[in-house]
Amino acid sequence: MRKVLRFAAREYIAAVKTKGFIIGLVLAPLMMGGSLIAFMLLKDRVDTTDKYIAVIDRSGVIAPALIEAAEHRNAKEIFEEGTGKKIRPAYFFERVEPNKDDPKAQHLALSDRVRKGELYAFLDIGPRVVHPEEDREAFRISYYAKNAAMDDVRNWISWPVNNELRRLRLADAGIKESDVRDLFSWISVDGMGLLSVDESTGNIEDARKANPIEALVIPIVIMMLMLLMIMMSVPGMLQSVMEEKTQRIAEVLLGSIKPFEFMTGKLLSGIAVSLTSSAVYIVGAVIAVKYMGYEEYVPFDVLPWFVVYMLLAIVMFGAISAALGATCSEAKDAQSLSFPLILPAIFPMFIYFPVVKEPLSSFATWTSLIPPFTPLLMVLRLCTPGSVPTWQPYVGLVGVLLCTLFFVWAGGRIFRVAILMQGTPPKLANIVRWAIRG
Amino acid sequence: MPTIELNKITKTFGNHVAVDSLSLAVPQGSVYGFIGPNGSGKTTTLRMIMNILYPDSGEIHVFGEPLRPSSCDRIGYMPEERGLYKRMKVREVLEFFGGLKNGDGIGEKVDRWLERLQLAEWADKKVETLSKGMSQKVQFIVAVVAQPELVILDEPFTGLDPVNTESMKDAILELQAGGTTVIFSTHDMSMAERMCDFIFMIFKGRKVLDGTLASIQDQYAADTIRVRTRDGAAALRDLQGVERMNDYGQAQELRLAPDGDPHAILQAILERTRVQSFEIMKPSLHDIFIRIAGSEAKEVEHA
Repeated sequence: MRKVLRFAAREYIAAVKTKGFIIGLVLAPLMMGGSLIAFMLLKDRVDTTDKYIAVIDRSGVIAPALIEAAEHRNAKEIFEEGTGKKIRPAYFFERVEPNKDDPKAQHLALSDRVRKGELYAFLDIGPRVVHPEEDREAFRISYYAKNAAMDDVRNWISWPVNNELRRLRLADAGIKESDVRDLFSWISVDGMGLLSVDESTGNIEDARKANPIEALVIPIVIMMLMLLMIMMSVPGMLQSVMEEKTQRIAEVLLGSIKPFEFMTGKLLSGIAVSLTSSAVYIVGAVIAVKYMGYEEYVPFDVLPWFVVYMLLAIVMFGAISAALGATCSEAKDAQSLSFPLILPAIFPMFIYFPVVKEPLSSFATWTSLIPPFTPLLMVLRLCTPGSVPTWQPYVGLVGVLLCTLFFVWAGGRIFRVAILMQGTPPKLANIVRWAIRG
Repeated sequence: MPTIELNKITKTFGNHVAVDSLSLAVPQGSVYGFIGPNGSGKTTTLRMIMNILYPDSGEIHVFGEPLRPSSCDRIGYMPEERGLYKRMKVREVLEFFGGLKNGDGIGEKVDRWLERLQLAEWADKKVETLSKGMSQKVQFIVAVVAQPELVILDEPFTGLDPVNTESMKDAILELQAGGTTVIFSTHDMSMAERMCDFIFMIFKGRKVLDGTLASIQDQYAADTIRVRTRDGAAALRDLQGVERMNDYGQAQELRLAPDGDPHAILQAILERTRVQSFEIMKPSLHDIFIRIAGSEAKEVEHA
């Protein structure tokens, strides 16, 4: 064990002294935090250039209301109260008579005006929008712009248009809008958590209002943090074993330590590297959430699971990484093996959304019990407000432990055979044969 | 009690038999030379003694006990392919490798060896700044710094200039004088003749020679003539009773045919040219090597 620790200490110092590690340690949170800060700073910065929109109103009844609503908006909503500073663009609607003979030519001419910058967009309102019938084309409202999918003007137009349609429909039905004002009072359903009993006081604790930050952002951030920890150590093990093999250091080491001690030293240094970076990130994250006032949403009770699963994931993937590194005779081999190695680690990222949306579904449960995916997916599920059955993280842990033992056993056998082998490419058939025969 | 005892060890890689039923006993405190053509099984044998490769069959005893991983703490090893952490400083790398074997007082031992091999001023330089010869000396110190009882050196003189070769040779003999058993493999036959108490030759995985230089040479008759003449090799061609001539430029070695008569050969040479020296001798280790390994050893001979 003395030798393993001595070797692991050298590996750890060599890893944390590299510029890459130090830059990564500082840069990763800066980039993540920086993008958050940039989002917060820039979210209210909007383009205040006035927008001119042409309207072809085939119904003949919507355009006046739209123009009136825009004038009201331009007068009341685009200037900051107190300072009078313009904070939003003004909208100006220009009514254009429809060309019934050749609507396409009219659309093309208006599109050209948009391209030239004379207009921001144009709107085509179908003739039967007040009382839609079977012909869908007759009650279509189309908005044409350079980027119509993500467009604040299009979103705004929906409100005055639909308000006017509702008013017209009520009038046609002979109902006064003031008599049925409640009819249009839309009440959304608040999402709430479950009530619980405080074990120390025995009091019933009120349910908390469900929050997207708690339900979505926090679990994903914590899963990403674990993935980051894995990525900071596992691919590095492949690279460093490959370097020790190609630079002929491995045989010198094997004159003093057993191949399994060699691999164990690598794994321990990988764990130490990850614990170092996770300590920095977790402390930083705790300070950040306290500062931002989100600490009540952070599931601190998941932290022990996070640490246990993260360490096992590093050992599980690290054993295979070190074994694959031992099969490489040149840098090109390592490059081609890097992606297959990290694929099982990053696969949970592809399915995180259905899991975080319904953490108690069969899909979420079963995928989180597949050992290579368990660390990330189980922690993701544990971080969601839903209560994952108590037995599941333990069963997942047993699966991961067994899988880790298998990977370390197989990795050790591959490592011992491959570390001195030169010129044999790391083909899957060879790797499987070395794992089976030792 | 021999320091190393190999008992019918065999190692195969796929269908290739690298070492075939090899038995060997290395006496304590001796310098034992391993010779043999490339690919004959020297390195595989050394790796099995170091427990890096496991024999398919046979037994290895080291220090009177069956070989076990902890035995390697008492063995220093310098592999054929040199490898050091290039970004570490010389002293750090020596203390690290020395510490893996026996960390007691490693700092002092490192300083002593650096001084001994004229590397003290490079102690705080990174390994990547060293010349090839200096790297090789550092690699040698890695093998010996923990004061092992047995040192295994795989081709320690390859790539060294004469000055460094001498200094390495002196260091090895100093280790032996201190009671350390030394095994080294080499392609330098003259070095093996001069340094080794015992010489072992492996060819195609099998032992073909084992013993002192004298006992090996005794297996061969005095069938070699070393001759220097005024006209060199040109005057010695197609001599009756000579099986083969090795031309060393300044002198030539003639191997007698089974029915060759040295007196008749001397007379024939005198008729052709002026003889400066003429010596009847047993074959050199180099000549014995060539006789055994034949054409397969030529690449070694010219290396």
